[in-house]
Amino acid sequence: MDLLDFARGPAINVAMAVLVFGVLWRLLAIVFLGKPVDRTVPRLGTPGPFMAGVREIARRMVPHPTFAFAERFAFFNGWVFHVGLAIVVFGFRPHILFVKNLTGLSWPALPSGVIYAVGAITALSLTAALIKRLTSPVQRFISTADDYVSWLVTMAPVVTGLAAVGHVGARYETLLAIHILSVAVLLIWLPFGKLFHAVLVFLSRATTGAFLARRGV
Amino acid sequence: MSHHETVCGPTPRLADAVLAEIATALARLAEADEETTIDLKSLPLGPGDLAHLAETLGEGEVRCDLDVAGRSEVRETRFAGVWWIRHFGLDDTVAVEEIAVTRLPEILMSHPDDVARAAKALAEVAARPAPLADEEDPSRG
Amino acid sequence: MADFATLGDRLADFGVSRRAFLKYASWLGSLMAMTPAASRAMAAELAKARRQSVIWLSFQECTGCTEAITRSYGPTLEDLIFDFISLDYHHTLMAVSGEAIEHARKEAMAANKGKYIVAVDGAIPLKDGGIYSTSAGETNLAMLEETCKDAFAIISIGTCAAYGGIPKANPNPTGAVSVSDIIKDKPIINIPGCPPIPEAMTGTIAYLLAFGKVPELDHLGRPKAFFGDNIHDRCYRRPFYERGQFAKSFDDEGARAGWCLYEVGCKGPVTYNACATTKWNGGTSFPIQSGHGCLGCSEPDFWDKGGFYVPLSGSVGPTAKLIGGAAIAGAVAGVAAAAVARHRKSSLNKG
Repeated sequence: MDLLDFARGPAINVAMAVLVFGVLWRLLAIVFLGKPVDRTVPRLGTPGPFMAGVREIARRMVPHPTFAFAERFAFFNGWVFHVGLAIVVFGFRPHILFVKNLTGLSWPALPSGVIYAVGAITALSLTAALIKRLTSPVQRFISTADDYVSWLVTMAPVVTGLAAVGHVGARYETLLAIHILSVAVLLIWLPFGKLFHAVLVFLSRATTGAFLARRGV
Repeated sequence: MSHHETVCGPTPRLADAVLAEIATALARLAEADEETTIDLKSLPLGPGDLAHLAETLGEGEVRCDLDVAGRSEVRETRFAGVWWIRHFGLDDTVAVEEIAVTRLPEILMSHPDDVARAAKALAEVAARPAPLADEEDPSRG
Repeated sequence: MADFATLGDRLADFGVSRRAFLKYASWLGSLMAMTPAASRAMAAELAKARRQSVIWLSFQECTGCTEAITRSYGPTLEDLIFDFISLDYHHTLMAVSGEAIEHARKEAMAANKGKYIVAVDGAIPLKDGGIYSTSAGETNLAMLEETCKDAFAIISIGTCAAYGGIPKANPNPTGAVSVSDIIKDKPIINIPGCPPIPEAMTGTIAYLLAFGKVPELDHLGRPKAFFGDNIHDRCYRRPFYERGQFAKSFDDEGARAGWCLYEVGCKGPVTYNACATTKWNGGTSFPIQSGHGCLGCSEPDFWDKGGFYVPLSGSVGPTAKLIGGAAIAGAVAGVAAAAVARHRKSSLNKG
């Protein structure tokens, strides 16, 4: 068994199993926790919990006007690499084939040239995010090891993927194997670190929105 | 590949790059008597490229057919010193296609070993008196 | 026509001039991407070389490799190799049989001690004392060890000899191994493929003859001149890959239009061979040009890579079962964790 066989076989399979296990474990543990009984009376004229949740999700897509200028970098750069990641992950033909091979589902792909460009922009954007984290005293102060590990496991598949399509540094089969292994590491880390926001982000924002709406905030 | 061209529009021809290389090589031959061989098979030339190259280089005065381990063809183009060489392999497919920038392609020259062997053989033939025409073959009766 | 004559003299006796060497060397030089100066040197060296004794051992094989190397007839360029070598032992091609051919092998070994080349096609079974493949009462293992002892170099012809190939495929019932698993003290050149490209076989032999040394090899023991590029990089369908135009099945519009075969399992991107450039049958075609994806036959264990029609980016293995199990386990763990937390909270509230 060579490195590529290991990556395509045991490594990615175990990683996907860990991802599914971890996500369901953490998600169900939160969902079934139930929320504390709120004995307050909701303010009049506030929307129901669902509408309030949706409104909060929409509202948090852009920063509050008060902080808009101060947060302009995090806002733009954050959008760039999130959208970039989505395009690369879901728009590249070999990635779609991976899903199709697993589930039978498929959708149209973007031209490879577009993916390469978006991948490069995403890598630059992630690099900028790290530089900001390291140079901003406040951000650096509140950063934990989790932040850096999460950054690393996100950046690694982007860089190794670009190297694989560009044939840079090693033979293609080795680069592809390393790329798949880096994805395996990402999948394993995702449920247990801050990357779990990928699953929780809308749930937590909606919950907060519903809670605040009841109080009329 | 015509499909390719309609999609992407006219692309710079690789043949033009090869022509430029031949021109440089020919200048070197003229000035420094330095020879060059360009292996056309190793370049990703399309059929259009080869035709364009052949058309530009044209036909010269010399055209040789060789019968050596299969067929070969050596032609001088209309630019003296630029030779188009093709060796044919199995089923008359082109096995080697190259441009030789030289005053005379090596494959046309008699090799010293062949010359030495031929000299010996011819000397033997010349030393034997030729048989008379009417007593040529007694077995024919 | 003595055996000690040079190849130049030998061919001259047949009325073939030195031009044949020039032509042959420029052909091989082109295939092996040699400089014109190197191929000219090859022509001179070949003419000076002696006829090379080759002993061809056939083990667990299908004779496809022999078929491939002998496919050309007539006095052509490609055939010159048969004037350059003396094939002193080859089961399939020899006229004699029985004791006589074993005698021929031993005679050739004694006469060319330390100078002969051993060509091997087929894997070697080791299980149960190697009884699964024998000839002349000897196991393949014994014959390989005996014959290679005084060899100059060994050429493993085909994927079976080079890496174990199909006999070694899961579950490998005969315990098949490659030549390099057994022979450790001789130079071994691997010319894998199922079968290998004839030009890769003859070109390598001619190189050995002309220069008396092993050509530059990659990490899997293959001559870089023939196995340096992967199929994908040299494939004429590559532009379709870049543009995202893929055949989805072997009978759809994309397949008919000659689009990229990545989605139907082509292994071109991870396969190193000269198929896309040298091609087959005198440059006629190669599998991808004929409409089928590359199987990756020049790579180790190509038979056990999870399926010829699974795209390269797809995972292989019992993914569905594994994920299903993980989902159940994860759900149970999550609900249990929530239940424990609720229980603790309610007992705290009470307390």
